[in-house]
Amino acid sequence: MSTSTRGGAVAAEWTKLSSVPSTWWTALAGLLVMAASAGQLAIYAANDNTNDDPTDDRGIVTVGSVLIDSVELTQYVVLALGLLAITAEFTSGTIRTTLQCTPSRGRVLLAKAAVAGTVTFALGLLLGGVGALVARPVLGEWGTAPVAGTIGDIVAVAAYLALIGVLALGLGAALRNAVLTITVLLATLMIVPLSLQEPDIDVLNRIADVFPGVAGAHFLAGDTEPYPSLVGLLLLAGWAGAALLLGRAALRRRDA
Amino acid sequence: MITLRGLTKRFGTTVAVDALTVDIAPGRVTGFLGPNGAGKSTTMRMILGLDRPSAGQALIGGRAYRELRRPLHEVGALLDARAIHPARSGRAHLLAIARSNGIPTRRVDEVLDTVGLDARAARKPGRTLSLGMGQRLGIAGALLGDPPVLMFDEPVNGLDPDGVRWVRQLMRSLADQGRTIFVSSHLMSEMQLTADQLVVIGRGRLLADAPTDKVIAGSTVAVRVRSPHPDGLAALAARLTAAGATVQAADRDELTVSGTTADRVGDLAHELGVRLHELSPHGASLEQAFMELTADSVEYAGGPTGGGAR
Repeated sequence: MSTSTRGGAVAAEWTKLSSVPSTWWTALAGLLVMAASAGQLAIYAANDNTNDDPTDDRGIVTVGSVLIDSVELTQYVVLALGLLAITAEFTSGTIRTTLQCTPSRGRVLLAKAAVAGTVTFALGLLLGGVGALVARPVLGEWGTAPVAGTIGDIVAVAAYLALIGVLALGLGAALRNAVLTITVLLATLMIVPLSLQEPDIDVLNRIADVFPGVAGAHFLAGDTEPYPSLVGLLLLAGWAGAALLLGRAALRRRDA
Repeated sequence: MITLRGLTKRFGTTVAVDALTVDIAPGRVTGFLGPNGAGKSTTMRMILGLDRPSAGQALIGGRAYRELRRPLHEVGALLDARAIHPARSGRAHLLAIARSNGIPTRRVDEVLDTVGLDARAARKPGRTLSLGMGQRLGIAGALLGDPPVLMFDEPVNGLDPDGVRWVRQLMRSLADQGRTIFVSSHLMSEMQLTADQLVVIGRGRLLADAPTDKVIAGSTVAVRVRSPHPDGLAALAARLTAAGATVQAADRDELTVSGTTADRVGDLAHELGVRLHELSPHGASLEQAFMELTADSVEYAGGPTGGGAR
C-alpha cells in the first residue's frame, strides 16, 4: 500500500486527538498530579531523614527516584490519552467514519498507537521535567540530581508512559468501553500484582514480576533482579504489542 | 456501480439481509426503500465493509470496500448524521477525514461551502449541531473525495423544506454527472420526486428493483365516488362488487373503489341513474405502491410506521 495512506491515517489521528479539549485537559491534569505527587514524595523523603525515627532514614535520594515513584499515580491520568483515542470513537459513532476512511483495521490501530505513543512520550518528558523541577528544591540537602542520571530517568519515565498509553489504546479497542478498560487496567497494573505479592511467596512474586506495571517498575528502577531492567522494558513493550494485536483482532472480527 | 451478489447477514437466527442480488447503476438516483428493520442500514454498512456479510458479497466498481486504497476517492457515504465527537468542531471532523485520504485542506472549505455551512457553524463543537446541520456536515464528508459512488442513509431527516429541496437537487446533479447515487429514505413522497430507480426490500428480501414510474404504475388506483343519494350509492356499490371491484364505504355519501377504473364506475352510475358529485381517481402514488409491496413484511404490523433506520 502507498505510504501516503499510512501517513494520512497518522495525520488524521493527530487531527482528531488534538482537536478535542479533553486531550489538553488531560495533559494539564497530568502536569498537576505529577507536580503534587513529586512535591509530596519529596517532602516524605526529606522528612524521613529529619524525623525522630532513625529506622526510616533514606539518606540522600536522587530526584529521579522521586519522579519514578510519582509516575505510579500520574500514569492513570496519562493513560486516558491512549484510552480516549479509541473509546471516544465507539461512544460517538465516529469509528464507522474512521474505518470508512481507512478500511485496514491494523493500519487504523497502528496510526492511533503512533500518535498516542508519541504524544504520551512527549508529555512524559514534560512531566519528568516538571517533576524534577518541583522535587529538587523540596528535597534540598537530602536530594541530588546528577544531570545524566536525571535525564536518563526522565526519558525512562516518558518511555514507560508511552507504552502504558499504547497498552490502554489496545485494550480500549478490544473492550470498546472506557470504564471497563480502566477497570481492567487498574487490575492489571496494580490490584492483581499487589495481591500476588502480598503473601510474599516466591512463585507468586515471580508471576507478579511478569505483569506490565511491575515489569515497568523494574525497568524504571534500573533493577538487576529479578531480571535486568531492559527485560522489564521489553516485557512492558510485549504487553503493549499484545494489547494492540488483541484490539486489531476485535476490530477485524466485530461489526462496527 | 454497486454490485450486490447474494448478500446475506444473519444475527444469530435472525436473517437481517437475505440473499440480496442487485446492481445499482451509475448516472441515476437509486432509492432504497423498506419498512423499519428491513435491513437497509445493514446493507449499507456491509457495502462499506463495516459489517461482515454472512454470505455473498458487496462490490464497488468490482472490488470489496476493504480492498480500496484511498476509499474516499471511490465511495462517499453518509450513514449517521449524529456520528461526530461532541467536542470536536465540524471543520476539524472534516479535516481529519480529508487528511486520512490525502485530500487537501482547501477541499474541506469547498465542501463546507457546497453544503451551505458557514465558517461560524463549522467552528462549533459537534454537540451543538442540529440534526439538520449534522446532515449537511455528513454530506460534506461524503463529497470530500469527489467519489463516483455516493451513499446516503436517510439524508433528509431533520432538514427543513429548503434543505430537503437542496438535497433533492444535489442528488439530481450528482447523478447527472454520471455518479452512482444510492439513497435510503422512509419519505415516499420525497423518493417519488428524487429517485429514478427503486430498490425495495422487506425482511431483508428484495421486493422490487425497477424504475420509479414502473413501481408506481404497479400500485392500485382507487376511485373516489361521492353522491347526494345514499340509496343510489348503495346500489352502485352492489353493482361494482358484482363486477369484481373492491368497494369500501368511506362515508354515507362516499365510496372508495379499487380494482376498476374511474371510466367504468362512471358508466355504471349512468346506467343505474345515480347522480354523482365526485368521481376522481386517487392513489397511483409511491406510498400506495410501497404499502402494497411491503404489506407482508412490516416488522411491527398494526401501527403506522415512521422514523428512520436504527
